[in-house]
Amino acid sequence: MNTNMKRVTVFGLLLLTAMLFTSTMSPLKGHAEEDTYLIATDVTFAPFEFQNEDGDYVGIDIELLAAIAEDQGFEYELAPMNFSAGLQALEANQVDGMIAAMGITPEREESFDFSNPYFESGPVMAVRDDDEDISSYEDLDGKTLAVKVGTTGAEFAAELAEEYDIEISQFEDSATMYEDVLAGHSDGAIEDYPVMAYAIQQGLDLRFPEEPELGDEYGFAVNLGQNQELLEMFNAGLANVLEDGTYEEIVERYLGDSSEVAPRAGFFGLLQANFGPLMTGLGRTLVLTLVSFAIALVAGTVIGLFSATPSKVLNVIADIYVTILRGIPLIVLAFFMYFTVPQLFGIQITAFTAGIITLSLNTTAYIAEQVRGGLAAVDKGQLEAARSLGLPYGVSMQKVVLPQAVKIMIPSLINQFVITLKDTSILSVIGIVELTQTGRIIIARSYQSGAMWIIVGLMYLVIITLLTKLSNMIERRLIAND
Amino acid sequence: MTKLKTEALRKSFGELEVLKGLDLEVKEGEVVVIIGPSGSGKSTFLRCMNLLEEVSDGRVIVDDFDLTDPKQDINKIRQNVGMVFQQFNLFPHLSVMDNITMAPKQLKDLSGEDARTLAMRLLDSVGMSDKADAYPSSLSGGQKQRVAIARALAMEPDIMLFDEPTSALDPEMVGEVLAVMKKLAEDGMTMVVVTHEMGFAREMADRVIFMDEGNIVEEGRPEQLFGNPQNERTRDFLDKIL
Repeated sequence: MNTNMKRVTVFGLLLLTAMLFTSTMSPLKGHAEEDTYLIATDVTFAPFEFQNEDGDYVGIDIELLAAIAEDQGFEYELAPMNFSAGLQALEANQVDGMIAAMGITPEREESFDFSNPYFESGPVMAVRDDDEDISSYEDLDGKTLAVKVGTTGAEFAAELAEEYDIEISQFEDSATMYEDVLAGHSDGAIEDYPVMAYAIQQGLDLRFPEEPELGDEYGFAVNLGQNQELLEMFNAGLANVLEDGTYEEIVERYLGDSSEVAPRAGFFGLLQANFGPLMTGLGRTLVLTLVSFAIALVAGTVIGLFSATPSKVLNVIADIYVTILRGIPLIVLAFFMYFTVPQLFGIQITAFTAGIITLSLNTTAYIAEQVRGGLAAVDKGQLEAARSLGLPYGVSMQKVVLPQAVKIMIPSLINQFVITLKDTSILSVIGIVELTQTGRIIIARSYQSGAMWIIVGLMYLVIITLLTKLSNMIERRLIAND
Repeated sequence: MTKLKTEALRKSFGELEVLKGLDLEVKEGEVVVIIGPSGSGKSTFLRCMNLLEEVSDGRVIVDDFDLTDPKQDINKIRQNVGMVFQQFNLFPHLSVMDNITMAPKQLKDLSGEDARTLAMRLLDSVGMSDKADAYPSSLSGGQKQRVAIARALAMEPDIMLFDEPTSALDPEMVGEVLAVMKKLAEDGMTMVVVTHEMGFAREMADRVIFMDEGNIVEEGRPEQLFGNPQNERTRDFLDKIL
């Protein structure tokens, strides 16, 4: 078997594996059927929504939604994502509704239609248990407050900041915010009272120096003017579950004195208890990487060849592509794909698809540059010799120049593969539960960020080391043929 | 019969004109050797003959086909014009066998079997049949150039262009390559050779062309050009190298 055949075989195998994985693991399926609603929720907001150790979503919001759906007889699918991402997804009609302990505020009512309120709450400030400095809001002068992006807590902190000299740190999820306080970076955190109370009950070393603020009511939201029938069903169902006592049961389960306290596991206990979800997250990270890299390898080669041709038009196309895609940060591109593109073209696209597209587009730009460099590194006498035999340009590139360029490119391609793998973690912002996001979700229920980030880091390290060794083996095989 | 002809051929690199209107006619079976100081444009001239170098003005005609006509299928004509390079330019990722069979398989729809037979015959004629499965990196310079000649011959061209085929070789390997070229010439191949090997020119050329500064200064039979050069620049050049 010659070199080319081997390369094609290896490539084909990678692609096949990737396809098999995607077909079984797509987390968001969008509208599976006509009457299945896609409902956004936060990933990490215990006790309203969080994943239990079996990987199922639980919490007050989740159970309330389930009870109402059963009462009203509608089908739905959950789309967990960061709170601010959820708001954007709802605005972009990527989801039909959102239940995420969302306070009904005048600003939000400009963009969304809310159900009747289903929970009363208000923001509260928490500080470290051993922090003696802060006993009231006045003591916050010169201190730092942690808040979650887009929450009523954040608004309240902004009001406080007008009165006192406070620096505000913004976070994407509650668990990270607590960790920031525990680690001593921030002096206090503002969060809805029931959420924080639940966290403290679960063993977090925080305390409340002040009483909770009043006046925040949670509601279920749909996009303004959209899905009104869903909103009506929610209201009707809410009235029923309030009446028959289901509502009280649910709230009692999470906030009552009898609610269970999760045991704090050690490093290995944490790993053992969460091994399943972590491996699923790792699997999804690998699928994202392999599929995106395979697509980028093909597209990048094409764009790279564009920049190597004598055609000025193709040169310019390649140049524009690389300039734009290399110039946009991955996280911005991910938001653009998932939120802006559907609004512009009126289409629905799953987070996983948006993630794959984002990563492919980005990686394509880098691979195109590597292909261009690889082609330029092949002696130009090679192309001349092929052309002098009468071989057309395309065949000459394919049979003579490209195979040699690939060999030159392999080390940088391996490097790019590692970068792409690590970049998948950025896709967690649009709700893809890959390895990093899995870690966050586990922290949100276990409140053990220290051990968890070591576990997640080690998993990346192990998988990248293994894949690099494998790539180096393939590289040696290819070069041994010369 | 004329195999190859250039008419008022001009070539410029930017402002610099390196070929200043060259007329040349090569007859079937003729061996033309081009000599001249470096920078005289002889390699560029040769590379224009199969349009590896774009022509700025004038015409290149091979077998009545005008290569400079944009509608001309240049790949078709190149199949009939073999070229051998100073740096060999063997394909390093392919075996000697695959170096030779790739073009015929691609362009002449030759079966693997037929291409192999053809390649073995050619390798035999250049004395390289024992290296069919070797890779170029394991060959000496002389061996590489002999394989490169076999590769060019695999398309069964009527004309062979040699661009300083022995300049990159260690002295002891020059002979083996020249011997292969000599045999080709004796078999009646039409050849245009750019070289510094005056011995080869003297012995094998039907005509020697002396170029300087982008012009053909003098041409004639070897005994005439070497024995009794008419132009002063030719005399200067020959004095320096002989």
